[in-house]
Amino acid sequence: MRNRPALSHAVMSACLWFATLPALAAEPLPKGLLVLDGRAAPPLVLDDLDGERWDISEARGRWLFVHFWATWCGPCRKEMPTIQAIFPKFDASQLEIVLINTAETEDTVFAFLAEVAPDITPLMDSDGLVTEQWQPRGLPATFFVDPQGRLQYLAFGGRPWDSPEYLEFVQRLLGQ
Amino acid sequence: MPSDVRYEDDSVFIRIVQRSPEQLTAFYLGRQFNRAAIGQILDTCFVTPIIRNKTFDVLWLELDHWRFGRGDENIARIKRDYWPDKWDQSELPQAQRSTFGWTLMPEVRDLRPDESVGGSVVIPWQDQPFTLTMNFATGADRQGPPKTIVFEDVECVTDPP
Repeated sequence: MRNRPALSHAVMSACLWFATLPALAAEPLPKGLLVLDGRAAPPLVLDDLDGERWDISEARGRWLFVHFWATWCGPCRKEMPTIQAIFPKFDASQLEIVLINTAETEDTVFAFLAEVAPDITPLMDSDGLVTEQWQPRGLPATFFVDPQGRLQYLAFGGRPWDSPEYLEFVQRLLGQ
Repeated sequence: MPSDVRYEDDSVFIRIVQRSPEQLTAFYLGRQFNRAAIGQILDTCFVTPIIRNKTFDVLWLELDHWRFGRGDENIARIKRDYWPDKWDQSELPQAQRSTFGWTLMPEVRDLRPDESVGGSVVIPWQDQPFTLTMNFATGADRQGPPKTIVFEDVECVTDPP
């Protein structure tokens, strides 16, 4: 009996990406979501609040929810509980939620997130320069990066991620 | 003009919040700005609009198309390139410079349907009331009917005695 070679993870991810994009193109997007041009995501190498390094180049093969925020920003504070609410709903191997705090101290970030989003460990853009490189169109903003590392969508202005409309968008993205 | 003024019609919602020196100091101290940098900020006047596009088309925020004035007198805006020298003089760290940038209104923004934008627009301190005229182009190609909203008697807010 001949064994067929297994598809590589990268090829499977590519198939998933091609399978989901036409379906998403046919559906209207929820408010506040922009389609991006699919260019490669900028570099992103930051330490998290525990001092562990995270590098976007090592995050291929899954969708990324790359979220820029700060505690002083009202819409950021309003949105964060909704991100916490969806965090347990998605397997990190399919969708990784990456919070990037812009230019604040660890104490400030810890004090806020411990109350509002205790399950998510943020990345610390301590000098704000990564945020400036990504140019997120204001704070808060969320980039959806596909499994091939390309920018596909931008959500601006704080979105209720735990509402049905936005949950369904993310689920469609993941082909669920 | 009160320190919190709103305007709304079918196409746009605008709220202008004027922060007093005490409020600005508290905000930026809370973000770990040093006193020298806060002193630089308090030498100016912050006008802080929040704008929401209520249309189904693009509404163009372009600060160079806004006018601050008093009668025939134009009041020149203090733009982003004013601040790096001030921050160098104040020895303000990069983190705070980044934060400051994000608290300013963007120079240009193609506001999409239902998109909001907020931030401070800076002018030299004014002892007298002034007029703020906001001019907006509309349409993705800026060819739609223009929109103008005028706020009279805007003031740089001082702290109560």
